[in-house]
Amino acid sequence: MATALNDTLSVKRVIKHFDFSEPYWEGSKQKKLVMQYCKVAGKYQHFPRPVSIFTGRRRDIEWREASGKGVVFSYTITARGTPAFRGAEPYAVVSVTLDVGVNFISNIVGCTVEELKVGMKVKPYWHPLDDGTHLLMFQPDRDPK
Amino acid sequence: MSLRDHAIVAYAETKVMEKSDRDVFVLGGEILESLLDQTGIDKNEIDGLVLAGLTGTGAANPFWAQTTADVLGLDVGFCEQVHTGGCSAAGSVARAAAAIDYGMCEVALLLFADTHVLEDKTDHSHSYRREWTDPYGLMGPPGAFGLLSRAYESKYGLDYRMLGKLAVTQRNHALMNENACEKLRVPITVDDYMNSRMIADPIRLLDCVMRADGAAGLIMMSRKRAKEKGLTKNIIPIGYAERTNFQGGENLVDVTKSGHEICGKKALGTAGLGIKDIASFHPYDDFIIAIMLQFEAFGFCKPGEGVPFIRDHDFSYNGDLPLNTGGGQISAGQAACSSHNLIEAVRQLRGEAGKRQVKDTKNALVTGIGWINYGRNWGSSAALVLVPE
Repeated sequence: MATALNDTLSVKRVIKHFDFSEPYWEGSKQKKLVMQYCKVAGKYQHFPRPVSIFTGRRRDIEWREASGKGVVFSYTITARGTPAFRGAEPYAVVSVTLDVGVNFISNIVGCTVEELKVGMKVKPYWHPLDDGTHLLMFQPDRDPK
Repeated sequence: MSLRDHAIVAYAETKVMEKSDRDVFVLGGEILESLLDQTGIDKNEIDGLVLAGLTGTGAANPFWAQTTADVLGLDVGFCEQVHTGGCSAAGSVARAAAAIDYGMCEVALLLFADTHVLEDKTDHSHSYRREWTDPYGLMGPPGAFGLLSRAYESKYGLDYRMLGKLAVTQRNHALMNENACEKLRVPITVDDYMNSRMIADPIRLLDCVMRADGAAGLIMMSRKRAKEKGLTKNIIPIGYAERTNFQGGENLVDVTKSGHEICGKKALGTAGLGIKDIASFHPYDDFIIAIMLQFEAFGFCKPGEGVPFIRDHDFSYNGDLPLNTGGGQISAGQAACSSHNLIEAVRQLRGEAGKRQVKDTKNALVTGIGWINYGRNWGSSAALVLVPE
């Protein structure tokens, strides 16, 4: 018998953005994962910063679209959540290594405790928020191409 | 002069309280009074004040160090608040020595007073949390250590009963420490640890530190001055290093490695000691697994061999590697700006630990862990080697 995890989709989320993160949230409106890329280092970075973490310069940053596919790097199952998440337990918080070489902390939907494993392939699940943006969550990629 | 030309000449500590029954300034005043009484120095000799930045009560006051100087009637040439989170206590020792060395002050009060249960002004909202972890319900440090523990388990495997052994050892020490929080002075077994409820699986309740209120403090001056004043039983810092945002300019790092790897080598190198020379170990403990990760980072054992290392050693006060002999923060309570393990090391080296006194007082290694960064382990690491005069 599989043990259900709460998808946390019922949790109300109001997110205050940093101005240097806005391109990410703009992209999310179209369910596009737009991430910071350092042209000099040739690497992505997450979370968004005001400068490249590789060179320290703002001008080296550009925004590029990523697939959002990845594998579970780690996860924790929360038995008693933060105040906004009370009543939604148990829910999983996952850290996903995206194919562009960054870890992304998120929730997973449509997944049981038994299925959730380190190394499991996942793909994006875009959860709509009231402000027109979407929250990037993940779901098991049961048929990876 | 160098670090080792400075001395900790006195320490003071209140009992750890589940919730303080008096104001943080009252606690600070009690510490000051105790330190003056012990050393016989005049209040007006204190010309340096160093506070730990890890304060919930003072968090919203940008003038916290000056306010504290004012409340205590101190007129100082060096007024400092150390902002390396749980490394602040150990970091205060190094900064006080540096300030004395530079001539900014001669006698420094290091004060670690906090009532973050009674009055918490902490605000993490101007950080990554607001956009990148709060919307996903990641529960602060327990959530972050849940991710870290699972990543370690996935890389090396993890026998949680061995973490339970550390929890039990520290709890036994708290039973012998009358200054530990009474709520925590209850015996536990490895089975109690294993069966304690999950908070952020695989982090259990008995993995976690409990916030508590209390205060502690130290007086530091040059060794020369300490000798002139006839102060004995002085404790000398002989090696210190810290690292903040270790590998912060990289993305995918090995989260089982921390800045302790670097600052351990540096602090021990300055001290002229090898890790095998360490007589007692007082690592920062916010979660039990942090102790095991530090065994690996400092080179007590190889990476991934923390579990067999725990199995093969006795960490009780009379064992082969005494560990957090006051109970650690996890069994004494996370109070006094997380200075507990530092104060305990000083007490042990002075031979004043009573029935939990370690036999070998030739040195002690104290560490700090501060702040939680995004998806890694921790933001600051510190190491401080102490010896008796």
